[in-house]
Amino acid sequence: MNSDDELAERLRDGDEKALRTAYERHGAAVLYLAQRLLGNRADAEDVTQVTFVAAWTGRDGFDPQRGTMLGWLLGIARRKAVDRLRSAARDTRVTESVRAQLAPPDGLETPERVVDRLVVADELGRLPEEQRRTLELAFFDDLTHHQIATVTGLPLGTVKSHIRRGMANLRRRWEVDGAASGSRSAGPTRAL
Amino acid sequence: MRHLDPDRLVLLALSDEPRDPGESEHLAGCADCRHELDAFRGVAGLGSEAQDLRDLPPPPEHVWRAIEAGIVSPVRARTRRRRPRWVTTAVIAAAAAVVAVAGTVVVERVVDRSAAEQVTARATLKPLATVPADAGGSVRVLADGKMSIDVRNLPLTTGFHEVWLIDPDDLSRMVALGSLTDRPDAVLPVPPGTDLNRYRLVDISDEPHDGDAAHSGRSLLRGTLTS
Repeated sequence: MNSDDELAERLRDGDEKALRTAYERHGAAVLYLAQRLLGNRADAEDVTQVTFVAAWTGRDGFDPQRGTMLGWLLGIARRKAVDRLRSAARDTRVTESVRAQLAPPDGLETPERVVDRLVVADELGRLPEEQRRTLELAFFDDLTHHQIATVTGLPLGTVKSHIRRGMANLRRRWEVDGAASGSRSAGPTRAL
Repeated sequence: MRHLDPDRLVLLALSDEPRDPGESEHLAGCADCRHELDAFRGVAGLGSEAQDLRDLPPPPEHVWRAIEAGIVSPVRARTRRRRPRWVTTAVIAAAAAVVAVAGTVVVERVVDRSAAEQVTARATLKPLATVPADAGGSVRVLADGKMSIDVRNLPLTTGFHEVWLIDPDDLSRMVALGSLTDRPDAVLPVPPGTDLNRYRLVDISDEPHDGDAAHSGRSLLRGTLTS
């Protein structure tokens, strides 16, 4: 079983093993997002639990046509984490500090940015091997196309073609699953 | 005015491609192409931050167990009426066995301490979300096939507390071990042949006196056996 479609179908049929598969594939990303947003491990684990239970309860609402399972789960997790920040603030009646938490100070990432990073990282991992390797050398090692060709032994034209296709794949996925995807209604591209 | 080729924009976004003067001039005057270039730069920025995310540690098992606990009741409620008759018989048999075992516990503990000390698997029981946090317990499976259960601070019930072994991979599959008495500790026999690798989720439930031998769906404590 490989595709989100198949997993979604099994999930909708009430197969708990499908939820386990989703947890194995995406639990780490959900936990990472929650920890980035909440800042502590215990709350992050709670939100991860609540997210997967909510995914189970609301499994009929997942539509593979509209995005991937990771995007769907991260969307739930983001809402749960923000809810938790808000209710924590209600409890202590310090709405000001919440506003500060929801709009992180300089140097901290917004929830949207963390979601976008996770989605792009996931797509990078799904690219065909040579495409992925080529992009990693460009992204992580900051190599020029010529250097990549030398390192990999691939012809320069092939390197450029891998990078073009890989970038197009990452962008498409970002537009489908990124944090702004829910609110974007016009056109296939997004403003930054 | 001809727009820049999308493939060319991708290469420019990765910034090691020198722009020719025509391209720079076009970009200066064309909002669409600038927008496209910015989008690809955004992708490149996110991509270069992906390195830390490649090797995230696997999500913890205890969180998965909490998820299982959170989703179990509706599944159970759906399946409870389809419970085969033999389970009822097994529960009655188990209950009878409790009575028999209860009389021998003290003797066993004193006389056969070495056998009792041989623990083949154990579990820590944690309260579910609806249960007071100070409730809990521990379970030891002994070499002679009996299960020793210690619980504390279980919520009071008008019914009784029952011990189950559940297959976490198929939550409708479970084995009833018997009920707990007022004592904080109990020893229940595990039916011979029970696969504890499969039925590894120990569950203490609150059961009403309704004559229905199926799980009530109201779990209080849970824990997973590990050897």
